[in-house]
Amino acid sequence: GSIYSNSEVCESWFRFLLIESTTVSVLSFKKVIIISMEFCGGFVVGYLLFSCFAAACYGVTFSSLQKTLIVTASSPKGHDQLTVKWAFDQTFPAGTDSTYKTIRVKLCYAPLSQVDKPWRKSVDDLNKDKTCQHKIVAKPYTPSNNSFTWTIETDVPKATYFVRAYALDERQVQVGYGQNTDASKVTDLFDIRAISGRHVSLDIASVCFSVFSVVSLAVFFYMEKRKGNVTQKK
Amino acid sequence: MPEIEGSPGTSMHGVTGREPVLAFSVASPMVPTDTTAKFDLPVDSEHKAKVFKLFSFANPHMRTFHLSWISFFTTFVSTFAAAPLVPIIRDNLNLTKADIGNAGVASVSGSIFSRLVMGAVCDLLGPRYGCAFLIMMSAPTVFCMSFVADASGYIAVRFMIGFSLATFVSCQYWMSTMFNSKIIGLVNGTAAGWGNMGGGATQLLMPVLFEIIKKAGATPFTAWRIAFFIPGWLNVIMGILVLILGQDLPDGNLGALQKKGDVAKDKFGKILWYAATNYRTWIFVLLYGYSMGVELTIDNVIAEYFYDRFDLKLHLAGIIAATFGMANLLARPFGGFTSDYMARRWGMRGRLWNLWLLQTAGGVCCLLLGLVNSLPLAITFMILFSIGAQAACGATFGIIPFISRRSLGIISGMTGAGGNFGSGLTQLIFFASASFSTAKGLSYMGIMIVICTIPVSFVHFPQWGSMFFPASQDVVKGSEEHYYVSEWTEEEKQKGMHQASVRFAENSRSERGGKVASAATPPNNTPNHV
Repeated sequence: GSIYSNSEVCESWFRFLLIESTTVSVLSFKKVIIISMEFCGGFVVGYLLFSCFAAACYGVTFSSLQKTLIVTASSPKGHDQLTVKWAFDQTFPAGTDSTYKTIRVKLCYAPLSQVDKPWRKSVDDLNKDKTCQHKIVAKPYTPSNNSFTWTIETDVPKATYFVRAYALDERQVQVGYGQNTDASKVTDLFDIRAISGRHVSLDIASVCFSVFSVVSLAVFFYMEKRKGNVTQKK
Repeated sequence: MPEIEGSPGTSMHGVTGREPVLAFSVASPMVPTDTTAKFDLPVDSEHKAKVFKLFSFANPHMRTFHLSWISFFTTFVSTFAAAPLVPIIRDNLNLTKADIGNAGVASVSGSIFSRLVMGAVCDLLGPRYGCAFLIMMSAPTVFCMSFVADASGYIAVRFMIGFSLATFVSCQYWMSTMFNSKIIGLVNGTAAGWGNMGGGATQLLMPVLFEIIKKAGATPFTAWRIAFFIPGWLNVIMGILVLILGQDLPDGNLGALQKKGDVAKDKFGKILWYAATNYRTWIFVLLYGYSMGVELTIDNVIAEYFYDRFDLKLHLAGIIAATFGMANLLARPFGGFTSDYMARRWGMRGRLWNLWLLQTAGGVCCLLLGLVNSLPLAITFMILFSIGAQAACGATFGIIPFISRRSLGIISGMTGAGGNFGSGLTQLIFFASASFSTAKGLSYMGIMIVICTIPVSFVHFPQWGSMFFPASQDVVKGSEEHYYVSEWTEEEKQKGMHQASVRFAENSRSERGGKVASAATPPNNTPNHV
């Protein structure tokens, strides 16, 4: 998963509070007990504040974004590449894209591939949303003539996908989006077949080591039994 | 000594109930030293060590200890090796949440049966071959991970690897042949705790191996398969070391397990009967399922939880998950220590309250772990939970020796099996369905821990009382002798089979707590022979 900038802001707040509380406790140099109590107290305060802050620190919601980009995806047949094109939807009033600075294109799981897999769940809060876990590309924003050919990476699992592009402002916050499928995510989906990760050489090595394990056990057993028999005979 | 050799938990034989859990050594007047023996450590008449020297590798006693706990540690590493890599494996094999949960259940279920068989194997082949046999035969199952292509293969392989957890039995059995019964409590507790640490070490090891192999050029879906070779090699290496460096008995290898003195072998059916009809056995089977059981469950689910909930990198999630299992280093002995400490003042009542407090505190922290949204708080509650659960494990075995003298072995074995059963059950209920999130599963499990710890208040010893009720005032029924000797029939008493129970009863008077002056030690306090 990716960590959005809002979490980074939260992180730095926490660090600030922690340093604050430790400084305060170090400065009050009276007894060891008081120092440790204040440290603990400051820590606890820092924790609580951070946890409250973290709970309140949610990001942009998906439902608040407008679909201002037109995105298409295609693949040359049989190859492990995906060509993505995106452009600003001119039916929106001019100036809607004035805050757009970057476009981040991601590969997203279709609902079919999210069934029984809570780690791919779609959630409205974009900080918690796990629909789009694979980054295709991030490029500076231009309203038209955008295209990118992506070689599908080896850790992309076998699933049904669509492509979504987020428009980000200069603070890296989502301000618009586009996707190559419809709102209910049923049209224009595509399947990616993954590599299995298995190799013949691995399988052979596995068998060799297994055989070695069993055989060496048997050999030890046999040798010790023989030694036992020999000494018994003596 | 009327006992079945090799039945699960017979390593507990000789435990009198008097030894403090942290006894490092037993002094000479109590157990006479055999001065003719030439060992690095002082030994008793059976050449079992009287001293537990932790950082020595002296042959055979301490060497056995280290070989034994490291073998047990290795099996934990292998059994839980998949857990921190689940985020990668689930993508490679297209697993659903149910598949992952079922694989977790499978990984702890196999050993319920293998632990029962292991006692017999140790009897036949000796603990050295028992241990080596198990870990070298389970090495192929670990290597099998490279073949796995779908959910059913994954579940099957994890099930087979799980059988290797029976090294617990060989470990404890082996310790009992090497260490005097007065220090066997500490030795076994340390070996068990350090072995359990493997469940934590693997959460650290596997992601690091995965990253290294990825950096060396492998694709992620191949790298995790290659990473499994390392636990497999560890199994093979430890097996070979055990065979080369280990020996069954202080004086050599298994020619025949020679027993001194007259041995009237007890009947398995009888000891099973007395174990099964003692209600306390079943309460502790339940309780251990919610201390050791939840520990094994967490070993399986926690790394994935931190990866998904807090968006951590794989190795970071692994590091956090590792701290849970590694706490076993101190937490389990700590539980035994607090049990002894409470017993000194309040006797058995103190032990029961201690267990209830530790396990309930663990349950509350588990509940909170699932509720919090911030990473530092989650880590804090996880650590507190680990201390509570693992200390409760140690505290449980501070009480088990007192439930029965005759059936101690079987009760220990049943309790151990209860731990694995509890783990399978909690994974099945809380972590194998997609109807609620892992976080909710943790919270519900925490609530279930608290509820299932309540039965400890029903454990009542007529001679010592229970958490809420005092001991029986009846002169006969309220004596330790009556409780322990009641497990023998008149016939058996006439044969003198109950003598060990009588000695045990005398020594266990200390469980009355500080108010009662401890009974004078009988002048001819002979050591218990195996």
